[in-house]
Amino acid sequence: MTATAPIEIAQLRKVFRQTTSGQSVVAINDLTLRIEPGQLVAIVGQTGCGKSTLFDLLIGLEHPTAGRITIGGKTPYDDFNDFRGRIATIFQQDRLFPWRSALDNVKLPLELIGLAEDEQQQRAMTWLTRLGLAAFAHSYPRELSGGMRQRVAIARAFAVQPEILLADESFSALDEVTAHDLRTTFVGLAKEFGSTAILITHQLEEAMAVGDRIVVFGKSATLLADVTMADWDRTDHPQLRAAIQGTLQNNAPDPRLSDR
Amino acid sequence: MVTEDARLATPPEAPRRWLTAGLPPRETIISLVGVAVLWQIMSYLAPALGIPAFAIPGLGRIAESLTKITAYDVMVTLGRVLLSLVVSFVIGLAVAVLMYRSDSVEKYLRPLVRILMAVPVVSWILFAVLWFRGVEFRIVFVLVVVCAPVFTVDALDNMREVSRDLKQMMRSFRPTPLQFFGKLMLPAIAPGLITSWKIALSLAIRVVTIAELVGAVTGIGHQLSVAQELFSVADVFAWTLVLVVLLFALEGLLVGLETRMLRWRA
Repeated sequence: MTATAPIEIAQLRKVFRQTTSGQSVVAINDLTLRIEPGQLVAIVGQTGCGKSTLFDLLIGLEHPTAGRITIGGKTPYDDFNDFRGRIATIFQQDRLFPWRSALDNVKLPLELIGLAEDEQQQRAMTWLTRLGLAAFAHSYPRELSGGMRQRVAIARAFAVQPEILLADESFSALDEVTAHDLRTTFVGLAKEFGSTAILITHQLEEAMAVGDRIVVFGKSATLLADVTMADWDRTDHPQLRAAIQGTLQNNAPDPRLSDR
Repeated sequence: MVTEDARLATPPEAPRRWLTAGLPPRETIISLVGVAVLWQIMSYLAPALGIPAFAIPGLGRIAESLTKITAYDVMVTLGRVLLSLVVSFVIGLAVAVLMYRSDSVEKYLRPLVRILMAVPVVSWILFAVLWFRGVEFRIVFVLVVVCAPVFTVDALDNMREVSRDLKQMMRSFRPTPLQFFGKLMLPAIAPGLITSWKIALSLAIRVVTIAELVGAVTGIGHQLSVAQELFSVADVFAWTLVLVVLLFALEGLLVGLETRMLRWRA
């Protein structure tokens, strides 16, 4: 489904209290960002910079400590059920149900939104075919390679025709050839359906390959750079690249956040 | 004439495997036959050893008792076991879900479940006799109170072990609580639940006979009690054999179900 509403992140703050030490850790500190509908944004930052916390907030699985995220006037965490079938996720690991075949894994979100059985079947098969896995529809995940499993995960995400696609390091566990192939597929499909897509990554190259816009996070999701690819093309690449890499290195995140 | 190629194409052990398909391993057969032979020798020697002849009946006498086994009593016991297991499973799983969903419920119920599991079966039988009138209810009560905690503890442990990643992925698609349980938790804990069924089944088969000894006028436990009153060791043996075979048969069914349900793991 084509996205119509922007994602508006306003003065977002998320603080975790560590269970062992009782200390507070600021994962996101005062982040303000607006993502236009249909835009493909790559968020880059080192491990522990708060980008995965932002991912959980965008999915709606966490509540912010302060500030808010609004999409068409609603928040994905408070108005959780209003976003059923509107947000889809692709994680670093495929997260397929091992007891379901590839086809049944793609059908899962369609079952959750209550689509009729024959439509579930037809839509899931169409997506598996688009991802080149028609012949493996009835294979279990253990029978598929890592790249094939991630393809099934992509098919599962697109099958619900979401307005918003969230991808968290979705291609970083794959070999470069497969990752390149899947990145291209991901970008092509997101563009074709007009979904707003956010890819979270720690690789600048991946961000550049995917994003219309690159957002660079420093410690506690501090906004270090926010560049559209159009601007990128107009600027001196090596200088901007060096600047971004420099800021990434100089803003090493708090190691206590490395599990976030 | 059989050519060399044709001879090689059919491995010599193939027909043998076909003949032994479905039979227990050779070692099992040897040990069982060994015990039977030893038993028969003991039955011959019993009088000479000063043991009453009825105490060690010969195999022929046991076989004769086996022919008198009444299918009705076997079916009654089987019915009681299956009904109690289904009730135990439903209650056990429901309690596990409540404990999983709420930490405070878990804190209140865990000690109670542990106490239930610590109470000896005989005590439950005595409680059942003192508290309830209906014989059938007494038997089902004892079986449920013994088996349900097994399902609760196993289901709860298995639910806790379901991958956090899968739970996060599932939640991101915003399922209803029923969908979350039915499409993720239940299939994820299915292997553990089948193991619980095997444990509870073996427990129920052993407990049902004791429960049937008190007050029941039907079932294998009752027949064992009658055999004991008549000093018929052969009958006790015959009914015990039926129980063991019943347990193995039901376990076989569960293994078949397990193979079918969990073929994704193979």
